[in-house]
Amino acid sequence: MADGYTGKVLRVDLTADKISTEPLNREWAKRFIGGKGLGARYLFEELKPGVDPLSPDNVLMIWTGPLVGTMVPLTSRYAVVTKSPLTGTFLDSYAGGYFGPELKYAGFDGVIIKGKASKPVYLWINDGKAEIRDAKNLWGKDNFKTEELIRKETGQNRARVASTGPAGEKLSLIAGVTSDLTRNAGRGGGGAVFGSKNLKAVACRGTLGVDVPDIDGFLKMTKEMLLKDVIENPDHAGSITDGTPIIVDMSQNAAILPTRDWSSGEFEGSAGINSDAIKEKVLVRRKACMGCGLACGSWVKARTGKFKGSSTEGPEYETIGLSGSNCGISSIEAIVKFAEECDKLGLDTMSAGSVTAFAMDLYERKILTKKDTGGLDLRFGNEEAFAKMPAMLASRAHIGDVLADGSKRAAKKIGKGAEKLVIESKGSEFPAYDPRGSIGMALAYATSDRGADHNRAWPVAQDAYGSGDPWNPEGKAAICVEDNTRTSVKWSFIFCDFYAVSFKNMAKYYTAVTGVPADEDHLRSIGKRVWNLTRAFNAREGFTKKDDSMPERMEKEPLQSGKTKGKTVPRADFEKMLTDYYRLWNWDEQGRPTKKVLQDVGLDDIIAKLPYLK
Amino acid sequence: MTKGLKADLSKCTGCQICALVCSATHTGKFNPSESRIEVKDLFPEPGEFKLNFCRQCDEHPCVEACPAEAIVINDRLGLYVVDKEKCTGCGACVEACQYEGCWLDPSGSYSVKCDLCGGAPQCVEVCPKGVLKR
Repeated sequence: MADGYTGKVLRVDLTADKISTEPLNREWAKRFIGGKGLGARYLFEELKPGVDPLSPDNVLMIWTGPLVGTMVPLTSRYAVVTKSPLTGTFLDSYAGGYFGPELKYAGFDGVIIKGKASKPVYLWINDGKAEIRDAKNLWGKDNFKTEELIRKETGQNRARVASTGPAGEKLSLIAGVTSDLTRNAGRGGGGAVFGSKNLKAVACRGTLGVDVPDIDGFLKMTKEMLLKDVIENPDHAGSITDGTPIIVDMSQNAAILPTRDWSSGEFEGSAGINSDAIKEKVLVRRKACMGCGLACGSWVKARTGKFKGSSTEGPEYETIGLSGSNCGISSIEAIVKFAEECDKLGLDTMSAGSVTAFAMDLYERKILTKKDTGGLDLRFGNEEAFAKMPAMLASRAHIGDVLADGSKRAAKKIGKGAEKLVIESKGSEFPAYDPRGSIGMALAYATSDRGADHNRAWPVAQDAYGSGDPWNPEGKAAICVEDNTRTSVKWSFIFCDFYAVSFKNMAKYYTAVTGVPADEDHLRSIGKRVWNLTRAFNAREGFTKKDDSMPERMEKEPLQSGKTKGKTVPRADFEKMLTDYYRLWNWDEQGRPTKKVLQDVGLDDIIAKLPYLK
Repeated sequence: MTKGLKADLSKCTGCQICALVCSATHTGKFNPSESRIEVKDLFPEPGEFKLNFCRQCDEHPCVEACPAEAIVINDRLGLYVVDKEKCTGCGACVEACQYEGCWLDPSGSYSVKCDLCGGAPQCVEVCPKGVLKR
């Protein structure tokens, strides 16, 4: 059937050392598309509630979507879907590059992995066939080396590899899944789930291709869209010229750039780490994911100084904000080194930057000392000490052993007041937009289905970066609801965040690839279904209103300078936004989808599986 | 003077849109492995992209190497193209080419190389960064 899907799912039981192929659940594919939605439906079905995310009972999935591997622009992504060991919530984490399309060319829409191998293994998928292979020689190797060795061993120099680095092997809860060397499904600890299963990597190579119904019409349409809706789209200008680092100056101007562990929204060294600094000092070439006409990525290399020779892709805005300004680091070369280490060792740069900033804060406050840091003088801005942190985290050396489990768990273990300082929600470290200068972000972080996150709602675009009032709680919930709905659809196809694609055009692509008639309303109803599904998943795990949290410092510690001088997120405003948000979604007072809502969004089939509705 | 595609690699971002459109045009499927242009991403070192495709070079050693006389001149275009019917998939042309400009189809049954889409190369039309020229 030429409808974008391969129609096949690979099922792997690592405990039993068994592999099987099964047909894609077509009914679910119609209701949830792919990526986030389809992954959430499979996970809801296959994962027992209350399972320890690092036990063999957790289910680890990789999903693509119907558009992935076609010429629909900016859809070359895959999703890692599992229960997060960092947050205990549903987890969907994405990476671009080339791996997602290759998995489809190799014959599969998704891979479902259960159990735990008795020794290190990797999964090799090649043109409809798969095998579990010994990974003895790969264990302990970094992500760059792992790709090189798998290509050598399989004899396939075009193999694509999604692997966990040493950090995930040691079950760091801030370990991501890395593919194409530098593309990361970073958030939520997916790398630790790989590690817990003794799974070093999933590698694939495929020559089977992806079919669409009317190839000539499709080519005509996508060629036109590539030009008109992607390359010439004014919303994409920044992605073409700069990529995400363009946001550094925007955040600095709005005074929401996390600085020295969230003690300020302005960083005096921002000019050393902004997009211009990247272009002038480290840029080698622009780099695109498959099928993207924008090429927002940058391959970089430090040309001078103590980090000379360090090279990776990025650093993206989140990396710069959280490991740069938030650690008091004003050298782009030092950030390149930090990001390179994270990519190789398999750490989420966002959480790794955040826990480093947190540790620096504790060190400055003398809650941590050189005894804890293995002798490192972990002051804010100390580039040498900063650059050694990824290795300390990945190897769990010294205080790295505690920090490797994320700042919330670390704060609890360290004590001495550290719990009051930590900036997270549901255990996930905040992205690089200080809510005290855009209070809607506090709501976005609190209600994200995978813990604090900016890719589920991004109200900052409309106020601190736009013309809205960043401190008026009115209307913020509505922005988050709309963003939740839209991103649920985008992450189900799987579109890139940087494609400002309308519902109308998503529907156009969807119909052209799958033949399913669709319009904006149809996709919106899918978005609402998916967002309610992940919320219900979390409710089934026991999450309630108390978990939709905001750290105390946001409320009690005003920022000091610029446009955010004296600003906080008042608790009453936060509560109002949260109440509005639950009301707009028609959820109960604990923020859980009701029976009626689930029926309205077409999730009747999960109602019986939700104990809180009994 | 070569008659094949020309590429300015300094502009290439590795998006593979050339390979996607090429495979769709020639085979009706999106399948970069069946594309007549291959994008190689060479990272972390040397940190660059390489494009493999037939240069339509004057020396055309592939033509001489082919035991089946399957690489024939298309008079209208003035290009050497593979006659799929005659090609036995022996790979002699692949060995002979100094540009890595041709290779065997994934099935291994015949050689593929750029035919400039019969005169209107699709990759040139879609390349978002203007890397490829006729």
